[in-house]
Amino acid sequence: MCYYEGSPEWDDVVPIEQDDGEGALAQIAYSEEYAEAMSYLRAVMASNEHSPRVLDLTSHIISLNPAHYTVWLYRARTIFALASPIEEEIEWVNEIALENQKNYQIWHHRQLLIDRLYPAISSKPGALQKLEDEERNFMTQMFDEDSKNYHVWSYRQYLVRKLSLFNDAELASIEALLRKDVRNNSAWSHRFFIVFSDPEISTKSSPATAVDPKIPADIIDREIEFAKAATFEAPQNPSPWNYLRGVLRKGGRELASQESFASEFVIPGKDKFESPDGEEVRSSHALDFLADSWAKKGENKKAVWAWGLLANRYDRIRKGYWEWRKASLEGVETEDKGKGFEAKLEGLSVGS
Amino acid sequence: MSLASGPGVAGSLSLPEELQLAIEPHVKYIQSLDSRRDELEYWLTEHLRLNGLYWGLTALHLLGRPDALPRDQTIQFVLSCQHENGGFGAAPGHDAHLLYTCSAIQILAMIDAFDVLDEKGKGEGGGREGVGKYISSLQNQTTGTFAGDEWGEEDTRFIYTALNALSLLSMLDIVNVDRAVEYIISCENFDGGYGVSPAAESHSGQIFACLGALSIANRMDTVNVDKLGRWLSERQVEAGGLNGRPEKQEDVCYSWWVASSLTMIHKLHWIDGKKLTNFILKCQDPKEGGFADRPGDMVDVFHTCFGVAGLALLEFPGLEEIDAR
Repeated sequence: MCYYEGSPEWDDVVPIEQDDGEGALAQIAYSEEYAEAMSYLRAVMASNEHSPRVLDLTSHIISLNPAHYTVWLYRARTIFALASPIEEEIEWVNEIALENQKNYQIWHHRQLLIDRLYPAISSKPGALQKLEDEERNFMTQMFDEDSKNYHVWSYRQYLVRKLSLFNDAELASIEALLRKDVRNNSAWSHRFFIVFSDPEISTKSSPATAVDPKIPADIIDREIEFAKAATFEAPQNPSPWNYLRGVLRKGGRELASQESFASEFVIPGKDKFESPDGEEVRSSHALDFLADSWAKKGENKKAVWAWGLLANRYDRIRKGYWEWRKASLEGVETEDKGKGFEAKLEGLSVGS
Repeated sequence: MSLASGPGVAGSLSLPEELQLAIEPHVKYIQSLDSRRDELEYWLTEHLRLNGLYWGLTALHLLGRPDALPRDQTIQFVLSCQHENGGFGAAPGHDAHLLYTCSAIQILAMIDAFDVLDEKGKGEGGGREGVGKYISSLQNQTTGTFAGDEWGEEDTRFIYTALNALSLLSMLDIVNVDRAVEYIISCENFDGGYGVSPAAESHSGQIFACLGALSIANRMDTVNVDKLGRWLSERQVEAGGLNGRPEKQEDVCYSWWVASSLTMIHKLHWIDGKKLTNFILKCQDPKEGGFADRPGDMVDVFHTCFGVAGLALLEFPGLEEIDAR
């Protein structure tokens, strides 16, 4: 099966075969097609040819093997050398991306395209709005397939920074994703970014883990309520609990300010905090949250009660962690201090 | 080294009650990979060839069989991937990139072949220097980050691969390590993890890269150990395996990314090592060799490397010791 050999358009190119010793490609049609296309790519790269037919050739190879990063880079070089219309290329890339969810090269290529396009449209509000809408629609399509695709989320952050999309439309788009799947940690993470890195209301370069006095109190309140609503929907979902902690930190507020809320998920037994018995726990994250709050206030007995429950009943797989929390509060020398690695696998006896 | 998956399938045989590590089949599986050139997938994964060689070789070293691949051919192949600028591509004819350059240096270090690099290597000044200069040319002097290649894409993984390779070459002093460290610190998230860039979602693989870079830079003091350890230990799921992010499926490769990260902050005992060991062992094909991402899936060399590395970290008998720090 020959696409290039015998074609008048490629008559002037001498293909360069793979020089990889013995063992040629299997005699199946698809491989031959790939091998032939690659040998023509080697030839055009060797003569540094940038032409419309190189775009066809790279498109063909990408359709056979979209993970081949060198083909993508050569295609980008060719697009820029020919000053080909970027919008057309983006449309073409969309199809490839939808068909190849795991592919990573596509997103790098897309960034190169946007970087190239941006200077030409940066002073045209209409064109910028169009790009914003089209990109958001396209990413929504990608998220229909896999709403946690890390490459797409990374690209989205790049785009938010590039086009300054710390806006209501972006927030609404993220809310829609969270309504669909409240366990989408990527969407939670992105929400934190667009709210707390918005240059209008945040301190420039304020670390994600730092208090930011510039964030208005009503924004902190809004985010707290948003996270809380999500915990009721899925109490055992870690994302909104982490988010809540992150928001409280940004606003410089204590965990204790949300103790009564977290208590709705944890009802101690009749002995209260005296014994681990008869309690009702709807969320281990709430128990964890309360324990941290209690420990901070010096209510050690309650904290130790909670960690005991987590270690022995609600999160046994992380017993080592909860035991350490208990021990560090009780002032006991633990194996964490010093021994570290050597002591790491208490109780591991392999093959038993 | 074929990146093609299969032929084995993880957990296809019922393992004996005492789960065993099938060392010989794993060695044979890795040895067989380069003889699979008649398969299309061998060629379609060419863009990962040098990584694949590193993964296979690492697994063999941990399995106690460092000589199971021919040394001369390994060196020859690695050097055939080098460009005039000193960087390495994934295979001959593929563009130079930091990721493959790091794999090349790791392989040459593992088989003690820097002398051959000094003799035959390309790049400005040749030898180790040529590679070092390629890597340092990719650093952004303002932000401290490294680009993966001349196209400028940045990623915390690239800081790790740059520092890792330079440290193996004993050339860390030719780049601005302090600025790279500052950049990594700026990637710390509200949940205690790190992502691909500032404010990007925490991801176990990126956390490994960030901690690895900080560890090489001797700046683990910048890490909020308790908070990060809390997030990392939360990655263990009921089946015993580890996931890369909240609410995602477990995967054998995180046995390395998460467990080695926990080891770097001295908290590996915060997870259940026995359950993790059993999960990893269930991901192997004890007859044909190799590991898959999880039981029931096809094996491949990537998961084989990280399955074996995870077991070595857990001090599984019969494997070489591993020092994640």
